[in-house]
Amino acid sequence: MKKSTKNFINLVLLALLFVAVWLIERFAGASSMLVTVLKKGAIYAVIAVSMNLLNGFTGLFSLGQAGFMLVGAYTYAVLTIPVAKRVAVYQMYAGGAIHFQLPWIVGILLAGVMAALLAALIGLPVLRLKSDYLAIATLGFAEIIRAIIQYEKLGPITNGSLLLKTYPTFSSVLFPFAAAAICIGIIVLLINSTYGRAFKAIRDDEIAAEAMGINLFRHKQMAFVISSFFAGVGGALLAMYQGTLQANAFKSAMTYEILLIVVIGGMGSVTGSVLASFLFITASEWWLRFLDSEQFIGSFQVPLLRSGFRMVVFSIVIMVVVLFFRKGIMGDREFDIEGIAKWCRRRFGKGGAKA
Amino acid sequence: MSENVLHVENITMQFGGVVAINNLSMEINKGEIVALIGPNGAGKTTAFNCITGVYEPTNGLVSFNGEVIVRNHPSGKMKKLYAGENADKYPEKPVSLTPDRITHLGIARTFQNIRLFKSQTVFDNVLIAKHLRRTSNVFTATFRLNMKEEKRMRAETLELLKIVGLEGVKDELATSLPYGQQRRLEIARALATQPTLLLLDEPAAGMNPQETEELGEFIKEIKDRFNLTVFLIEHHMNLVMGISDRIYVIDFGKQIAEGTPAEIQDNPAVIAAYLGVDEEEGVQ
Repeated sequence: MKKSTKNFINLVLLALLFVAVWLIERFAGASSMLVTVLKKGAIYAVIAVSMNLLNGFTGLFSLGQAGFMLVGAYTYAVLTIPVAKRVAVYQMYAGGAIHFQLPWIVGILLAGVMAALLAALIGLPVLRLKSDYLAIATLGFAEIIRAIIQYEKLGPITNGSLLLKTYPTFSSVLFPFAAAAICIGIIVLLINSTYGRAFKAIRDDEIAAEAMGINLFRHKQMAFVISSFFAGVGGALLAMYQGTLQANAFKSAMTYEILLIVVIGGMGSVTGSVLASFLFITASEWWLRFLDSEQFIGSFQVPLLRSGFRMVVFSIVIMVVVLFFRKGIMGDREFDIEGIAKWCRRRFGKGGAKA
Repeated sequence: MSENVLHVENITMQFGGVVAINNLSMEINKGEIVALIGPNGAGKTTAFNCITGVYEPTNGLVSFNGEVIVRNHPSGKMKKLYAGENADKYPEKPVSLTPDRITHLGIARTFQNIRLFKSQTVFDNVLIAKHLRRTSNVFTATFRLNMKEEKRMRAETLELLKIVGLEGVKDELATSLPYGQQRRLEIARALATQPTLLLLDEPAAGMNPQETEELGEFIKEIKDRFNLTVFLIEHHMNLVMGISDRIYVIDFGKQIAEGTPAEIQDNPAVIAAYLGVDEEEGVQ
């Protein structure tokens, strides 16, 4: 298939997806479970793809995602709360230290920029580490960031450990989908550019990549910063989705959720991450919700089911995936129209190949 | 006197107490094919790694086209441990370019244990090497404002694959190729960085006699076509004697001979190193 035809088909599919989502929102109602799941799934897709850029495409095992999301979320919220409402939000801190409000789009971009700047700074020491050591260091930094944001002396800016609210949010499900399409689109373009090829070379063989003239540190730094930028944007979107924001929610458990999505989807597959995001969010927010409450069949109480049991099931799922489906849903392949055609031909006999 | 390309001076590489290379000096001139031979464990690959910036030698100097790319003297812990010579000859500030900088200057290499990008196609393996001479930055590349350059990179890659005869398998996974073709691909990838000096680390390892012969022809061919200087490590003596202009022989990290293939073949020290010496008779 020609590249231009493929691009055209992809654009048509994307447009169809938007129409479908719009229709779902119209008919299922804006507050239905399905729409909620779609909103959160789209946001998680951005974050998962940004993490995949680092873990799956550049081969850097980083666990700092929640920290960068937190920075993005706070940057967005702090800068976009309406001036008139600041007194109410910053009750404990006399209306806070910031007395202006930025438009939401600027807030989102700055959320990414702040996360990226922080990543550039943290990257200087930690990107000299490899594999597990890098994971430990980034995890540590993410926790430090959370602690700093909750620091009482920073209250006039971050509101300490209290809630941030009344910043602009979105109502239509089309907003997170549009944002996700743009972010993921840019990441895909990057991955398929000459820089993306360099990232993959580093993942495959650092020594060979360096011998081919690829500056390891600069390229790792680049991947780290870009990944963090989109994690920051994703954090801002998540803040918008939640309506209120508290640093406490961005614990390392959140990073593990995203790591789970990336692993289930397949390290090095963008479409895998996207599919897995929706699957994970749907399962955790909707399908498996019943695990967290006591259930009765007649008068028989189903054993084990209680608050928190959902996470036990998820832990088992990740173990099963890591043990038996190490490549995840997609491996490092992508889900595209050509792949589906090939798969159909293989699956449904040779007749298709001749036709 | 032809122009000097690579100048290696008193290189010593010491790992802890083990001296892997001891006071090695070599000269490689423009347009030559020079071989580095020696028994197993003599330090040949270590020498390559010192030249290409993978290792930082404990002492000595390497310059490429007159520019110092590596210079070091024993320091820190090594000051006490150092067992080599000329410890005070290079007191200047150490120079240690990273491998990518050295490749940028025009030294490309292949690896003894093939190091291709495993998850990539043959075409992409070579295309990645084109990244080095890019003019685009990450923004222009992401937003496809560099289409001209991208097209040029792809065209050059295809051209190169045609020259090395791998055009037919360009969409195969690199690791699915037979061994000989993987070696060829590694050479193609090195050539894609547009080097002036090509370092080949046992390019004929694992090849049968016919493949080896073809490889010899191939090396001469690319040398002329790309105006290269070639420096290779090799164990196949037929290949070495057939294509080299000069040969360096090292054993236990020390140079034991240098000369034309004919001189090396008759050199008693070389024969002794390769075949061993009867202790009573000594070198004949």
